[in-house]
Amino acid sequence: MSDEALLSVRGLRTTFRRDGAEPLTAVDGVSFDVRRGQALAIVGESGSGKSVTMRSVMGILPRTARITDGQAMFGGRDLLAIGDKELRKVRGRDIAMVFQSAMEAMNPTLTLERQLTEHLLWHGICNKAEARKRAVRALGDVGIPDPEKRIRTYPFQLSGGMRQRAMIAMAMVTEPALLIADEPTTAVDVTVQRQILDLLAELKNRGTGVIMITHDLGVARYFCDDAVVMYAGRVVERAPMDRLLDDPRHPYSVGLLGSGVEVGGRELPLRPIPGSPPDLSHRPDGCPFHPRCARAELPRCGTEQETLTIGPGRDAACWKVAVDA
Amino acid sequence: MPDKLVHAESVTKVFRTRAGEVRAVDDVSLTVHRGETLGLVGESGSGKSTMARLMMGLQTPTSGRVEFDGQDLSKLPARELRLLRPRMQMVFQNPYGSLLPHFSAIGNVMEPLRLHERGDKESRRTKALELLDLVGINTGHAELYPRQFSGGQQQRIAIARALALEPDLLVCDEPTSSLDVSIQAQILELFTDLRDRLGLSFLFISHNLAVVERLADRVAVMNKGRVVEEGSTEDLFRAPQDDYTRQLLSAVLPIRQAPGL
Ligand SMILES: Nc1ncnc2c1ncn2[C@@H]1O[C@H](COP(=O)(O)OP(=O)(O)OP(=O)(O)O)[C@@H](O)[C@H]1O
Ligand SMILES: Nc1ncnc2c1ncn2[C@@H]1O[C@H](COP(=O)(O)OP(=O)(O)O)[C@@H](O)[C@H]1O
Ligand code: SF4
Ligand SMILES: [Mg+2]
Ligand SMILES: [Mg+2]
Repeated sequence: MSDEALLSVRGLRTTFRRDGAEPLTAVDGVSFDVRRGQALAIVGESGSGKSVTMRSVMGILPRTARITDGQAMFGGRDLLAIGDKELRKVRGRDIAMVFQSAMEAMNPTLTLERQLTEHLLWHGICNKAEARKRAVRALGDVGIPDPEKRIRTYPFQLSGGMRQRAMIAMAMVTEPALLIADEPTTAVDVTVQRQILDLLAELKNRGTGVIMITHDLGVARYFCDDAVVMYAGRVVERAPMDRLLDDPRHPYSVGLLGSGVEVGGRELPLRPIPGSPPDLSHRPDGCPFHPRCARAELPRCGTEQETLTIGPGRDAACWKVAVDA
Repeated sequence: MPDKLVHAESVTKVFRTRAGEVRAVDDVSLTVHRGETLGLVGESGSGKSTMARLMMGLQTPTSGRVEFDGQDLSKLPARELRLLRPRMQMVFQNPYGSLLPHFSAIGNVMEPLRLHERGDKESRRTKALELLDLVGINTGHAELYPRQFSGGQQQRIAIARALALEPDLLVCDEPTSSLDVSIQAQILELFTDLRDRLGLSFLFISHNLAVVERLADRVAVMNKGRVVEEGSTEDLFRAPQDDYTRQLLSAVLPIRQAPGL
């Protein structure tokens, strides 16, 4: 599979320097593939390392971070090794990113026009007039009414949902080969969400590979083809999207599904996973999920973590999971 | 004591921008009763957050009026408004943005108490620790800074901070949408618990209809600055009357093959 992969990440490990303590391992040996024209969902709790994984690949980590191991092959090159200058050429042109909050991606002091045309002009993709035309079209595409007028406004003059759409327009305008979307639709309502997902799906149909970090399992089901579940900096389950949701195998995946609320499910009891994700400076030994796992068996779960192949394209980091015959 | 805690009467809010006038809220009347959770849903840009700010007296309506506990906010002298302010608190989508980055977790919870001159330093500390415990933050971590907590934990701290002044009304603007599902489930349980234990009233804004269905007693649907439908949660979800509400409900993406199983 990795031959035809658009992006192939292997054994990524990223640490953060800390004052007076051992570095903190935020991402601990993560591997996954993104295929051309397909979407990979990355799901998992806060702090499980999803954003750090993506920021490592994109080379936009804070200064205190260090990638200590791993590869990220993209177009025959290892993004982790090519250096900042080369990476900057890739970013915004071949790989675009949509963030959790538009505030992270947008400059509050610049008009939408300046921000939407920036990559097109910086990478020399087209001239100013053409860039403006594409920017207006992109704004219209993401459902911003009156794009000709709106392009002259500043981000703070838009509602949260509109700002999010403007940021997506910003990422789509260069037609990137890979789009990394970190919670792209959390700030928008369901109708706009559907509209944005359908737009992103068009990009996907044209061959763009998408990594979608999402907390919304409904969005994941609708949009994504494959899924990776992360916990405490590690991948705990990897599966085709539908299989994961209809038949989760890793106890953590089972817990995630039990926490999801759905319309029509008002009377169903919530079954949140007890406790919270581990403080990574005290990552539990063995399977890091064991302090919260209803199926944990000591001492084995507290000393080792083993990954079992469940079936084609499916594995889980738990020695107790059911494996397909 | 009036049964209406906050009541907006025909409020309209017009913003002037380079792109022209924006009628963010257009002749809306809305009430949150005491002890009630009112869900507010609708398209982005439909005016929900503006409505919330108007109801909290953080912005003045272009026309119409807002009453809190029977008092017209626009007619209140600044001093009395300041006394009312602590009784309505807000929880935002982005917990990090609503916390003071250079204050520890406990410092964040103590700050509103200090600003409003409640108790002495020692009692403020005790109270803040109780609140952190109430929202499920390990009190051993009270001295850590916001950035050292995960998003879900930051939201818990933001909630503890909002509860510090013992408000009657908690206005939550997308409080769980930056959180993943397992933490969201815990925060939902926390809200339910707070409502039952403290008798809080909520104005709860969310685009997550499943969350609103679960928490709200009544739901109002906004579209283009207007409330297009309002009703009990059960009725509205079972038999939506308005076209836009129906459209909204049909756009929900199910997680399981047969939702509700
Ligand atoms: N700048 C930083 N300095 C120190 N530690 C950090 C920094 N950024 C992230 N971390 C740590 O790395 C781990 C993974 O964080 P990350 O933000 O990737 O999680 P996430 O899965 O994206 O969470 P969320 O869904 O809340 O955004 C966490 O333990 C976090 O505390
Ligand atoms: N400070 C402001 N200046 C100009 N327009 C604003 C301002 N705040 C909100 N608006 C406009 O008001 C409308 C409603 O915004 P908002 O209340 O944020 O919507 P929602 O919260 O439902 O997403 C939008 O058209 C938005 O652009
Ligand atoms: S290895 Fe043990 S603790 Fe970990 S998920 Fe499996 S059963 Fe649970
Ligand atoms: Mg993140
Ligand atoms: Mg809003």
